[in-house]
Amino acid sequence: MDGRALVGAFRGGGCKNGMSELVRLSDVTKVYQGGITGALNGVSVTVEKGEFTAIMGPSGSGKSTMLNLIAGLDRPTSGAVIVGGTDLAKLGEAGLARFRRDHVGFVFQFFHLLPNLTALENVLIPAQLKGSEVPGRARELLGQLGIEEVADRYPARLSGGQQQRVAIARALINKPTLLLADEPTGALDTHSGEQVMDLLVQLHGRGQTILLVTHDAKLATRHAARVLSVIDGKVVDDARLEGPERAASEVIRVRTEEASR
Amino acid sequence: MSLKYGVLGLLKGEPLHGYEVKSRFEAMLGGTWEVNIGQIYTTLQRLERDGLVRPAGPRGDRGKLLYELSPQGQKALDQWLGEPDSGPQQLHEDIYVKLLLATRVANGDLQGMLARQKRTYLQRLRDLNRLEERARRDGRLDLARLVRGALLHAEADLKWMDELSSERFGAEGARTE
Repeated sequence: MDGRALVGAFRGGGCKNGMSELVRLSDVTKVYQGGITGALNGVSVTVEKGEFTAIMGPSGSGKSTMLNLIAGLDRPTSGAVIVGGTDLAKLGEAGLARFRRDHVGFVFQFFHLLPNLTALENVLIPAQLKGSEVPGRARELLGQLGIEEVADRYPARLSGGQQQRVAIARALINKPTLLLADEPTGALDTHSGEQVMDLLVQLHGRGQTILLVTHDAKLATRHAARVLSVIDGKVVDDARLEGPERAASEVIRVRTEEASR
Repeated sequence: MSLKYGVLGLLKGEPLHGYEVKSRFEAMLGGTWEVNIGQIYTTLQRLERDGLVRPAGPRGDRGKLLYELSPQGQKALDQWLGEPDSGPQQLHEDIYVKLLLATRVANGDLQGMLARQKRTYLQRLRDLNRLEERARRDGRLDLARLVRGALLHAEADLKWMDELSSERFGAEGARTE
């Protein structure tokens, strides 16, 4: 499939079989040589457009592997990874690179900013790879993320929270179909972590599909309405958490004992 | 949580009558604690009998009686506050017994059981997150701390569930006889 057809599949709202299905993993297995952890064993799951899904599991469970396969950063040993109706196995290396550039925004735990480029230049990298010049949009994104004033600074002069926001701006510069975040608050203090999560929630509110990998159940259940639990390379549970806000008395009961004598 | 010391603690601030004790206690715990007025009166009568509280003046309007802390009551309260909370740890033993039985019963649906339990914990965690946010929004930091305690317990339950779901436990569990 060439790049244009791929774009068409996305712009057309999706896919051959589903109404708004964006990602489909079919019986995906990933085996690593030498028994490295993170293998996947027969994972089948779909993600709808506009969902905010958390992939949760302990370290080594395979959750990051799932994200990397969806991002086209890695290929499965067997099974199919279909994103926007396109089977990623049918794309060659160049096609995969184009897919990542045009459709995937990736936010990592340790930011991965290039140290010799300013914040603004870092944000612009994916756009330049695409051949588009959008410094205005980059500044606008930095503004939306509340860090316009650091645009001309180098990463070494930014706090962890600021670096992660620059990384989010970089992930968003090409208006990705999918925003993938792998432990995006893992290297941040609680306050900066909450700010980053609030940003993701705002993006989701504007329709952004988000897949968040985390080992933190509190974080997952606080922000995502759907939680996939991965244990030993398998999705052991797919929970859709719904429901209106409940009264304290329905959630917590302080145990009391009567005065006995 | 002992009702006795809860009542003593509230009376330390100012003399209260039975209904005030009930409503203040419920407000303090954000509705997570329910008690009927009869329990409050019984507790107050026992505390009076033991000399820990005493009437603060004659019966007033509609026979309401204000109670205050006595010096012995003050001493008992201080002692209770200073004591660490000991005793065996409370566990959700039901799920553990179910699990042990499911590993023994040949057709026990262990993974299904764990998944359902896990989902319950996830939903609880989400509810607690909402509660904590609301408590903070309302400026109820005391209540937010209680919710936070519940959150940390729920997180621990989830971690435990993950360990139980791991294949390793299944193998060990099967060997247990």
